[in-house]
Parts: sequence; structure tokens; C-alpha cells
Amino acid sequence: MRERVRRVPTAGGAGAGPDADELLQRVARGDEAAFERLYDLLIGPVFGLVRRVVRDPAQSEEVVQEVMVELWRTATRYSPGKGSAMTWAMTLAHRRAVDRVRSAQSATDREDRVARGAAARPFDEVAEQVTMRLEHEQVRRCLSTLTDVQRESIMLAYYGGRTYREVGELLGTPLGTVKTRLRDGLIRLRDCLGVTR
Amino acid sequence: MSPDVHALTGAYALDAVTDLERAEFERHLAACPSCAQEVRELRETAVRLGTAAAAMPPPALKDRVLGDITRVRQLPPEVALVGPVVRGRWALRLTTAAAAVLLVAAAVLGVLLVQARQAADRSEQRAAQIASILEAGDAKVTTGESSRGGTATVLSSRSQGRALVLTDGMPPPDGGKVYQAWLLGDGDPKPAGLLAGERVEVTGLGQAASIGLTEEPAGGSQKPSMHPFVNVVI
Repeated sequence: MRERVRRVPTAGGAGAGPDADELLQRVARGDEAAFERLYDLLIGPVFGLVRRVVRDPAQSEEVVQEVMVELWRTATRYSPGKGSAMTWAMTLAHRRAVDRVRSAQSATDREDRVARGAAARPFDEVAEQVTMRLEHEQVRRCLSTLTDVQRESIMLAYYGGRTYREVGELLGTPLGTVKTRLRDGLIRLRDCLGVTR
Repeated sequence: MSPDVHALTGAYALDAVTDLERAEFERHLAACPSCAQEVRELRETAVRLGTAAAAMPPPALKDRVLGDITRVRQLPPEVALVGPVVRGRWALRLTTAAAAVLLVAAAVLGVLLVQARQAADRSEQRAAQIASILEAGDAKVTTGESSRGGTATVLSSRSQGRALVLTDGMPPPDGGKVYQAWLLGDGDPKPAGLLAGERVEVTGLGQAASIGLTEEPAGGSQKPSMHPFVNVVI
């Protein structure tokens, strides 16, 4: 079951040039060219994740724009000891995506959804280019080692942006059980993916 | 850490908690290295779920972002506050006091964030404002009772010269009037902005000792036309 793999390089194009961690440190010194290269390395995963959570194309782009600018602004607070640049960026992206869907939820329908619906393209129309095929396969395989309820809970929480309370509500599960499932499921996933940071 | 709190590592790593729960859990994390290690690993695991969903955005987004960053100043780096030389009883006492203040601040801010969220349409923008003031080392939270009912809470940073005033439970101004903030205690009262909904961001704090609120005609005034009904020391 346990599958030891090298940590996925933080950059897509492995080997050539500096990696994302190093680029982010250069960005901290105000290097705009480094930021542009970092953008190219991170944008696929960041956009894909935000898109998956937010779904609305226009809003997804807004959130991604905020995330990337925030990455520029806060680069000075990054150090490799805090984790990889990819993790740093993706954590920020997920947090912002979740904030967006939750605040949209609480502002419930105050916006004119009809007008927005007309402008929105359906999700599938956007060309979805998986830039990390191998990574994708591996994650998929590891997800399949979870129990159905673990997998469903994690997907609802992470891709769906739900709180564990909402997950409990949706699955008709007591809160204590939901917390345990999320944790046990992630631990199993961690071990399968060989994450050891 | 109780097993129940520990079980939250998964939900926390997935951002499946409310802001208040997050603030509480982060307090626990600071005191529990093994939890922090687990959270790091689980977060890294969650990120792998994210990278597996990679997709490319429209190319125009890049130009917008690259344009934006030319107009955004980067945060100052974090500088170590206490050098290795200053050790001993005083340093320890200071650290303990600072930790206590931080614990309280974390709890208050967690609640503030939640209140902020519930109260406004643009909660995200507000959370960003709060976060940016918090990044200052001297961020401070103070609250004052309003004689009209409710409270005003001020999150301020002297070094940034900025403050965010958040009101809670205050009745709306009379018809056609507005609430206006004032910087007080540094010469004449200085107009510091009109409340939008239940809040206002104040800049140019200078040497002001407090921020007060008054009710003014639409558009605001150059001088307060009444005694402030709430006055929060900053």
C-alpha cells in the first residue's frame, strides 16, 4: 500500500532553472522577472484548485488574481523552513477560494444571480489542461484506498469548501465522526503519497 | 491537548473550520509541537489534492496580475525582535506577558473576524484589512461602549498609522444622517471618515489618543456637531 515516491518537484519543468522555492525568495527581494517565472510554475495548480472550489469562471479568475498578487505582497514572509513555495501558494489559494464561496453563501442571493448566470460559462467548456498527469494518477490511486465515507468527506471539505459541520449535515453523520473521518482519511492519504515533511 | 481538539487537525488542514475555530485551534497549535507537525503533513497532503486538479486559466490573467504587482508594495520582512543576548528573567517575563496578550488578542480577533463576516457583504475585503493591520507588530484591540447602545471596537496599529473601527449592535443613524469618525486628543478633532455600514477604516492616526464617533449631516462635517457618543482609546 505504502508507495514511496520522491517529493514532486515544486516546479513543473524539472531541472531547468531555479525551482519555485528559490524563485519565491527572489520575489521577496522585489524581483519582478522571478515573479513572472514563478507565476508560470504555480498558475496551473492554483487556478485548477480555485476553479474546482469556486466553479464560477469569472469569480475564479478574480480569486486567482488576488491570490497571485497576495503571493507577491507576502513573499517577504516566506522561508523554505515554512514548507515548499507550492504548499505556501496552494494553502493561500485554498483559503481564499473557501472564503469566497462562504461569503457568497452568507450574502445569500443578494446578488442578481440571473445576470451573473448569463455571463458564466459552464465549467466543462473551459479547456482543462492537466499539467501534472503523473501526480494526478497517483492522487487518484491513493484516494481509492480510502473508505467511501472518508473519500466523500474529504472531497466535500476540500474541493467543496464545506466546513466539517456542513459535511456532517450533508452526510447525516455526527460531528465527532466527521472530524475523525477527515483526519483518518488524510492520514491514510499522507502515508500512501509518502508525504513526510 | 484533549483528544477531541486533536481530532480537528484533519478539518483544519482542509480549511473545513470556521474562522473562530481556526483561531482557537491555532492557539493550541502554538503549544503543541506534535499537532503542528501533523498539521504540516496533512496540509501538504491536502495540497497534493489541489495540484492534482491543475488547469490553465485564460492567458490574459497573467497580464492583469503582472500589471497589478507593479502597483503593490511588498510587506516588510519579519525581523527578530529579541536578540540572543537579551536572556534572563526579564526576557522571560516579557515573553510570558507578550504570550498572554497574544492569546487574548487571538481570541478577540477570532470573534471579530466572525462578527465582521456576518455583518458585511464584502467580508473578504474586511478580513484582508484586519489581516493587514495585524501584520504590524504593534497591533492593538480596544473597545468602547456607545451611549446609543452597542459597542465600537478599534483594531489599530500606531506604526502603520491605521485603524479599523467596527461597530456592533449600534442603531443606524437618524434619517438623512451619517456616523462620522474623528481622531481626538491631538489638537482639534480631525475628520476620519464616514462609516460604511458598520465600519470605517481610519488612516493617518498620528498622535491621536482616541477615535470617537458622532452623528453628522449627510456627507459629514469638518467639525463634530456633537459630543462623541462613543470614544475608544487607541
